[in-house]
Amino acid sequence: MIELEKVDRSFGRVHAVRAVSFSVPAGAIVGVLGPNGAGKTTTIRLITGLLPPTRGRVVLNGAEVAPERRDLRRRIGYLPEANPLPAEMSVEGYLKYRARLFGMHGRSARDTINRTLDRCKVTDMRKRRIEHLSKGYRQRVGLAAALLHNPPLLILDEPTSGLDPAQVLETRALIAELAGQHTTLLVSHILPEVERTCDRLLIFAGGKLRADGTREALLAQSGANRYIVEYKSRANANNDLLAAVPGVNRCTTQSLNDQWTRAAVEFDTDVTDAGARLGAAAATHALTLRELRHDRPTLESLYISLVERAEEPV
Amino acid sequence: MRAALAIASREVAACFRTSIGWVVLALYVLLSGLWFGLQTLQPGEPASMRALLDFSQWILLMVAPAISMRLFAEELRTGTIDPLMSTPVSDWSIVIGKYLGGLGFLGIMLAATLIHVGVLELVANPDYGPIIAGYAGLLLVGAFYLAVGTLFSAMTKNQVVAFLATLFFFLALFFASGPLAQQLGSPYNTILFTLSIPLRQADFAKGVIETRHVVFFVAWACVFLAGAVAALESRRWR
Repeated sequence: MIELEKVDRSFGRVHAVRAVSFSVPAGAIVGVLGPNGAGKTTTIRLITGLLPPTRGRVVLNGAEVAPERRDLRRRIGYLPEANPLPAEMSVEGYLKYRARLFGMHGRSARDTINRTLDRCKVTDMRKRRIEHLSKGYRQRVGLAAALLHNPPLLILDEPTSGLDPAQVLETRALIAELAGQHTTLLVSHILPEVERTCDRLLIFAGGKLRADGTREALLAQSGANRYIVEYKSRANANNDLLAAVPGVNRCTTQSLNDQWTRAAVEFDTDVTDAGARLGAAAATHALTLRELRHDRPTLESLYISLVERAEEPV
Repeated sequence: MRAALAIASREVAACFRTSIGWVVLALYVLLSGLWFGLQTLQPGEPASMRALLDFSQWILLMVAPAISMRLFAEELRTGTIDPLMSTPVSDWSIVIGKYLGGLGFLGIMLAATLIHVGVLELVANPDYGPIIAGYAGLLLVGAFYLAVGTLFSAMTKNQVVAFLATLFFFLALFFASGPLAQQLGSPYNTILFTLSIPLRQADFAKGVIETRHVVFFVAWACVFLAGAVAALESRRWR
């Protein structure tokens, strides 16, 4: 449905997005992750046609996205970051206005508005001015405006930003409901939000796409095969003795306050019996263990390592 | 065109949903009423709207930028321009819609002074030719001023900047086509005099609707609106 081919976007000397390529099939729910300034919103604006790329192509349903391709805008429902809405309008008035801009009139427009109000659970607020709504309701109005013309592609940029925890849960549930019916790009810098809602992740950092895949695939690719071992420290003993275990490529130790030592042991990724090797080493050295566990990589650790790598000077 | 009308009607409604619209309308009606009472409703004065129309011409210099300043600057400031520009509406339709909204509000404002024409009809027997031409002239001048204001509003997020830039543009235009033109010799003064708004307005006040004046205001309004479209389009390229 969406294809980006080596897309660059610069603002003067600032390269906001560099050589970004990915494709999203119809029906997918894709999370776009990255810290502030990573290039997420610029990429989204390129897809919506609000910005043209400096280089490369953005293709939507086989047609190249360009500012003059106004027809393509009918295929996109876009909830921008911060959800800007005209404060002085009523909810219904705003949706009627949007309906007219999308060429809907008369009874069909009324029916569509009613359906969308129901779908976004905002019917009870239809006569209320937007400025008098809570943030949670405003977010629903923004979603209703993005969904009104029933676009095949839904792009939600930071949809839970600024909401309280209860509103975040409400909005997340609403997005999960909607996601099954549209190809959805969910932009966020909140990991749990994307992790719970999306079946594929794109991680941006420093203007580049750093990772692309399902959560499981990304974690598998991250290559970490790390074990944590805590053992009783011994006076005059070499605390790095686990580093000599076959297959270990890195071992860092830390003395804990209570006479115990914690070792973080990284094995080569092809080592499948690392736990057994560590157990055998502990027996050989007569170490008293209180913990030996596989430190499974998390999305958070992967995300942080990608972001940190992007920030390292070249 | 339907989209432009949707935008225009939203703009007119927005003027009345915010205090600025009511304040501008109330001030204009109040001042024009006072002026009409003091200048026209006096013994021995001719039964004409000329004094009020002349007064309105100067008031428009302040009122038109006040109407136009929010047309785009407000959308740019709040970010609502992005949802608007992600609809399948052309940039021209957006600009025309906004502009027509401003013009609609100006029309309502001028229409409010028709009550003075009614008063004049009650107390005297006015000549309607100069009145109709005078109102047509005011509307044309207002249309020109609003087009200038629309351009400046499309260039900034700040309504005050949009207001002041429009006002300074008018002051520069009046200075160039007035005092400066009088100081310069031919052919420069001839060129500058063609830009004079008061000279053209004077013809309308006499009851004459000249095609060249109509073309002047409409053509220049189109030029400034094209500039506003370019300013809006440039957002996609910056």
